[in-house]
Amino acid sequence: MNEEERKILSLRFVVVALVFLGLAGIEGLLMRLRIMNLLVDVFDEKHFYSMMTAHPFVGVYGWAYMAVMGAFYFLVPYVLNKDIYSKRAAYASFWLMILGIATIWTTTFLTHYAPLYTLYWPIPLAVDLAGWSPIAIVSFGAGVSLILAGVLVFFFNMFATIFLPPRVLSETIKKRSAVYVAKELILTAFNIDKLIARFRKIPQYTSRAFEYPVFVVAVFRGCVDTTLNAFVIGGVGIILMSVGAYYLLPGAVQNLSLIDPLIYKNVFWWGLDLIADGNVLIFTAGTWYLIVPLMLNSKLYGERVVRTVILADLVVSLFVWNHHMLADTPQPFILQIQGQVFTWGELLTMGLTIFAVLATIWGARPVKYSAPLKFVLASISGYAIGGLAGIIQANYASNRFFHNTQWVIGIHGHIQLLVGLSLTIFAAIYALFPLLTGRMLNERLADIHLLLMTIGGVVMGLAMGMAGTLGMLRRMLYPMGLGIYEPFMNVALLGALMMATGFAVFLINVIRTVGLTTIIKLFLPQR
Amino acid sequence: MYPQFVIEAVYFLVVSIVVVFLVVFYVLTRKGRHVGGPERAVHEEPGGMGKGEKRWLYFLFAVAVVGNLLFLSPALPSIRYTLYEREAVMTVVIEVRDYRFYLPEKPIRIPVNVPVEFVVVSDDLVYGFGVFRKDGTMVFQMQVVPKPYLNRIIWVFDQPGLYDIRSTEYSGPKHPWMFVTDAIEVVGEGE
Repeated sequence: MNEEERKILSLRFVVVALVFLGLAGIEGLLMRLRIMNLLVDVFDEKHFYSMMTAHPFVGVYGWAYMAVMGAFYFLVPYVLNKDIYSKRAAYASFWLMILGIATIWTTTFLTHYAPLYTLYWPIPLAVDLAGWSPIAIVSFGAGVSLILAGVLVFFFNMFATIFLPPRVLSETIKKRSAVYVAKELILTAFNIDKLIARFRKIPQYTSRAFEYPVFVVAVFRGCVDTTLNAFVIGGVGIILMSVGAYYLLPGAVQNLSLIDPLIYKNVFWWGLDLIADGNVLIFTAGTWYLIVPLMLNSKLYGERVVRTVILADLVVSLFVWNHHMLADTPQPFILQIQGQVFTWGELLTMGLTIFAVLATIWGARPVKYSAPLKFVLASISGYAIGGLAGIIQANYASNRFFHNTQWVIGIHGHIQLLVGLSLTIFAAIYALFPLLTGRMLNERLADIHLLLMTIGGVVMGLAMGMAGTLGMLRRMLYPMGLGIYEPFMNVALLGALMMATGFAVFLINVIRTVGLTTIIKLFLPQR
Repeated sequence: MYPQFVIEAVYFLVVSIVVVFLVVFYVLTRKGRHVGGPERAVHEEPGGMGKGEKRWLYFLFAVAVVGNLLFLSPALPSIRYTLYEREAVMTVVIEVRDYRFYLPEKPIRIPVNVPVEFVVVSDDLVYGFGVFRKDGTMVFQMQVVPKPYLNRIIWVFDQPGLYDIRSTEYSGPKHPWMFVTDAIEVVGEGE
């Protein structure tokens, strides 16, 4: 692939990701109205929960993952000055993601299958109790598997791009096997090469990770988390497909105790939480480390420390899953404490990441803030507000009051995802836009976009969180009225509408800069 | 004041400080005088960390240690009954199946200021078990993992009155209806 082809690939990913963000936003608004007991005649509980099942898949895999993929398919070769390993694999990941998300969306919309993204065993397979159709289970499982297959293809392509020597060289030295890539990845991502060097008493050995720019180190270390995640969640998709197919056979007997529900929950959360660390924390850190020095024409503060922090984040991420299970009383107490203590470790890693970014900006005073820098600063505020809420709820004692409330999904989840992660992605979009299209987006409209998204996201999240402190649950409808939670839901709706307006301003900015026909032509065969 | 409100107040105080800091940082970095470009930005001590960064790390570490100790101390009732006062004088067994709570009696009568153990057993799916005051605020909750697991929690009610039970975990579209009003009656001493 030449650079022009990579630009088109990257833009295609980003445009599709933005469509998915818009779709997730519409779903969010509709569900918000339904929670307020509006639109009751339009969609019932089954429809509501099926929408809630699709929402995180569209928002996380459709928006966040596809935007990250688009950015990395351009940035990683750009930073390393080499080509993407496989163009075919790049487009395979593109179509697998779209097909998988479309399958999940269609299945939930048509059949009202609603196991939610948590997929707690045996809820997704409770055909008789919950009234699911076995065909819906097969179709949903296929959708999940397709998405995660797309994710795996993407990460293999990334690892191969980073670790394989350029093709011309590699054909002569015969290092193009998957085993070689996996070995390089494990040695480099976990600094195992350094440990081996120490064991062999090699003096003054420099770890291989230092051969790569900090951004690329964040990419491959974050990719370790998200690859493991893909194996676990993709595995659940395959289980659903298999059991659903079995239910279609005549005389099939339901056995809901096929898998131990607590062990399943542990494995599931271990895998699922790796998205939070890989995609949300490590990729974000890597993007900050790239954009901030680039925009300031400066070097990153404390690069050696930053590399260690990314490694620490990767290690911590493997031991935090239990903070999702603090309300499971049969869980061994030692695991509960492990989840709590390791989660506090994220305060250290994220705190040092933010310190490095702010110190870089401070060192480059006086700063002329361009749109990407402003978005980075706003996203840091999102991580501070959402991250602190996350650490508070992840304690055994406080979890008794916060678990499954609007606090978790509002102050922590949505502020972290919409203000923290999404504003980082927008920072990357604003930074890449001139490189990919040769045109600049309007700065004033970018400011309006930023203000509406940040204030709207924080207002929505805080209002939800305050309702959560009062006891309002997430994943819950209150058919008999919202009672004391109602004022908070009104404010949250206002915040959501502000965010939607901000997104509309961004779309207007893009369309008036490049034109709608240019965007449509992007998806036509290129000469 | 309920413990979650105290936690929320502390959280809002910290977040306000963080937001004010970021706004001040934005203003100062726009107006500051030039101090030396890239050399300044990459300044490091020989050991790797700058002085400020080290202090920041120590501060975060101290916060993490204090936070853990505080949340593991008997300050919050939720851990006090789990770790420090584990003897219940009364046990209430509640069964859950097919999206319904089966109570031993309705309302379940519990004396005030007495440690009570709730044992909740699910025959089929994952559910939640949450006790709420009449104004909608939560007293406590736990997940209900299906058999063979028993889900146990010890609690001491310090206020007499009627309480509702609600499933706090999604288990299917019938989830919002898993609500038992006036399920528990906490009676005062001598009643």
